[in-house]
Amino acid sequence: MTASQGGKRVNMSSTSDEMLDTLTLSGKMVGAQVRRVEDPRVLLGKSQYVDDLDLPNSVALAFVRSPYAHARIVSIDAGTAQNHSGVQLVLTGADIAEAIKPLRVEYDPAKAPTHKPCDWPVLAQDKVRFVGEAVAVVVATDRYAAEDAAGLIDVEYEPLEPVSDVEQALAADAPLVHEEWGDNVMQTLQAEIGDVTTAFQTADCVVSERLTTGRHMALPMETRGCVASFERATDTLTVWSSTQVPHVLRSHIALVLDFPEHHIRVVAPDVGGGFGQKAHLFPEEAVAAYLAHRLGRPVKWIEDRRENLSASLHAKQQVAQAELAVRRDGTILGIRGRFVGDVGAYSEYPWGSAFEAGHAASSMPGPYKTPAFSFEAVSVATNKTTIGVYRGVGLPIGVLAMERLMDLAAHKLGLDPAEIRLRNMIRKEEHPYTTIIGAEVESGSHRESLQKALDILGYQECRGEQQRARAQGRYMGIGIGCYLEGTAPSSAAFASMGLHLGGYESATVRMDVAGKVTVLVGTHSHGQSHETTLAQVAADELGVPLADIRIIEGDTNAVPYGMGTWGSRSAVTGGGAISKASEKLRSKMLRIASRMTEVPDDDLELAAGMIRRKADATPLLPIKEFAYRVLVQAGDLPQDEEPGLDATAHYEPPPSTHANATHIALAEVDSDTGKVTLLRYIVVEDCGTIINPTVVDGQIQGGVAQGIGSALYEHALYDENGQFLTGTLMDYLIPTAVDVPQVEIGHIESPSPHTPHGIKGAGEGGAIAPPAAIANAVADALAPFEVRVNAIPLTPERVLDWIEQRKAAA
Amino acid sequence: MAETQFAESQTIRVRVNGQEYEREVPVRRLLADFIRHDLGLTATHLGCEHGVCGACTIIMDGESVRSCLLFAVQADGAELRTLEGLADGDEMHPLQQAFWDNHALQCGFCTSGFLMSAVDLLNKNPQPSEEEIRHGLSGNLCRCTGYANIVKAVQAVAEQSQS
Repeated sequence: MTASQGGKRVNMSSTSDEMLDTLTLSGKMVGAQVRRVEDPRVLLGKSQYVDDLDLPNSVALAFVRSPYAHARIVSIDAGTAQNHSGVQLVLTGADIAEAIKPLRVEYDPAKAPTHKPCDWPVLAQDKVRFVGEAVAVVVATDRYAAEDAAGLIDVEYEPLEPVSDVEQALAADAPLVHEEWGDNVMQTLQAEIGDVTTAFQTADCVVSERLTTGRHMALPMETRGCVASFERATDTLTVWSSTQVPHVLRSHIALVLDFPEHHIRVVAPDVGGGFGQKAHLFPEEAVAAYLAHRLGRPVKWIEDRRENLSASLHAKQQVAQAELAVRRDGTILGIRGRFVGDVGAYSEYPWGSAFEAGHAASSMPGPYKTPAFSFEAVSVATNKTTIGVYRGVGLPIGVLAMERLMDLAAHKLGLDPAEIRLRNMIRKEEHPYTTIIGAEVESGSHRESLQKALDILGYQECRGEQQRARAQGRYMGIGIGCYLEGTAPSSAAFASMGLHLGGYESATVRMDVAGKVTVLVGTHSHGQSHETTLAQVAADELGVPLADIRIIEGDTNAVPYGMGTWGSRSAVTGGGAISKASEKLRSKMLRIASRMTEVPDDDLELAAGMIRRKADATPLLPIKEFAYRVLVQAGDLPQDEEPGLDATAHYEPPPSTHANATHIALAEVDSDTGKVTLLRYIVVEDCGTIINPTVVDGQIQGGVAQGIGSALYEHALYDENGQFLTGTLMDYLIPTAVDVPQVEIGHIESPSPHTPHGIKGAGEGGAIAPPAAIANAVADALAPFEVRVNAIPLTPERVLDWIEQRKAAA
Repeated sequence: MAETQFAESQTIRVRVNGQEYEREVPVRRLLADFIRHDLGLTATHLGCEHGVCGACTIIMDGESVRSCLLFAVQADGAELRTLEGLADGDEMHPLQQAFWDNHALQCGFCTSGFLMSAVDLLNKNPQPSEEEIRHGLSGNLCRCTGYANIVKAVQAVAEQSQS
């Protein structure tokens, strides 16, 4: 392995702490390819996930869940269960209605006038609205006893007609998921920007498509779970949760339990993946926290995989109707998109499930210069598991719709699919470019990333190979997917949508007497490598070796109030907060050092563990010695200087930090079986300044794997009665090691002019474009059959059915 | 039909990572729960509890097994190896080292199962092709990495053993 830093390649095959030190001493850490700091403890089995925490005297929870999609609860008989060995307590919705508020997502009515809130009771009240909804909870000495007793609880239901899909939900006589709404529409967002009617009337070519998508799931390998404990000695309710958002969880537990927040501590220990699913407060966590306080005993809740599949959160299922108007030369004149999202029974807390369809719709223009755009995003309740945010949120669907249209238009006009995209993309020299939806794209590499991806593929050769393969009866296709992603959303971005969420982040940097640095930051790593990447940022800011920096996240008693990790935000906002706090600390250090060294502070710098003269890098004072003098020999400090060597900062990201990428899939379709095989997969991405190339590559490879799942395999399936059919990992299929090719990755760095170090977000991108690229590749492969690729997942059954239909028609 | 009477619990003896344990366990206790919660060896993880994800993979008498599909009593008399027994103190096993060198883990939840499956794979086939590695590890699910770096890590160890 080699590390690139400032053009210099360093052999990393025997990286040690010393080597990491050497790297720091010789150059910048931002951009260096260092191995992960967090790995040894994980690899040696020392990490601690929430189920690894066994507190003395603890009890376990098991939830009784609805077998019906829509039913009235007539009665609950828990008598037998209550007498079962080991059972401490059984509670139903009626028992906790006063004690725990329902989860209710409120949007600002001025900003979101069509949004209808609903109550998500933590245990069902009166009726159930999806298969898997929690109806009662059993507290017992261990999970075995709790699950035994849960099976003994007799719930009598009166089945109601279920709402099983969005078309049924929108019908005039549809049963109502939430009676108080009067219909099943949670929110309708509409906008028309520019003269769309004229654009379509005057276009040389109009293409349209109706697309349906699967019901996806984040499916972290660790299921949801928490341990809650109330300590009488300190009057503190502590919740260890497998969460992405420790402070958000703390605030919302306080709200729903009406418990003083300053007596709640949330700790996110090692978390086994989240991808959005764990960026929420769940009913079960509220119940566990309540019970820990009520019983005065630690309470553990670890869900099983069936619960995770059926009762956590689903994602992304939409029906899209999309249209594109272009001139003869391919120039985009206008776009129309209508996205109907199947949000399920309730609203993800605290985001709101209407988030998904709105995001899909507004992502359509992407990197393409668009003079007129109208969209409608309709979020519709059904009797299914609630939809939540999942990597990329609506973008994989909006990008799928747009990129299918680009290929359809190219085909109709006889243009090359790459060429039509190049003609419409924002050019480098046009930055900052304000898009049709009013986003300022500060920098980017849309055309360059596409061109580079085509080069990596060897586009023209591949087209030749495709022709030769076709002559032999083999169906190969090339599919392109391009996107523009607004990463690290700001507080103002949420406010404009009426959401009650912040986009800022907070950090404290603290130097100890040995000159080592503790960074406390409100983001949370559950695979994103923050112990490494955020330390790389701090190392450059404070001029100390990587090995002397410790990143601490996840404990609300330790770290300042922050928003956690989601939305490709942590490098931008966590990194930004660390840079800002470090800047405060650095200026104080240099001010004091100036007195000690009698060198003006603006002639000093922190680098390589030293306070140095900036002009000639002369070391004047080791940081270690400096820190000891400031913190311990404080009597010698200048009188006008405040003691201490720590600083806290809160960082609000700029309105937009836009990442972009091009994905290209080379696929082969077996026309006898419908099976899609990915021969090659190429990504050229631009997330601004890269902190650690290894980590960014890892995020891309992993994101693409999830996107391949969305494109080819994954669908949480219900029957017409709203019965859940994919309750095991043999039914809900995710890609395995034989399904995911090595992604060929290229990088372009267009730094953001608005963020420290020019960083943009990188977490979600890999998962955004695979549905588009793969659907386009399959359509291209099957062009001889004139198959309309208008649905994902592209299962063999579906693809074969399309081929057979076209053969029958022909 | 006469109801069969089963014992509620049974005493078992197992050797785990070289250490002998004798414990009384409920007969229905899963081997995974026994390892994690009775012996405190929490490096073995549970991702699905129905034998698909492979996170709970351990080595039992030289074969990789899913500890969520076995009862603890079925391991009576067996020799078990978990992730805790892979390294020599803090000296990493070559696979652990290769996982570190190749960024083969992100959240780390599936990693223990992958390592134990890879140990079994390389025991049986010290020089696997890339395809054999991919098939050999296809019973373990990872949601973070997209597998490529895991495959590379196993390849690296196979190459080391060749040279």
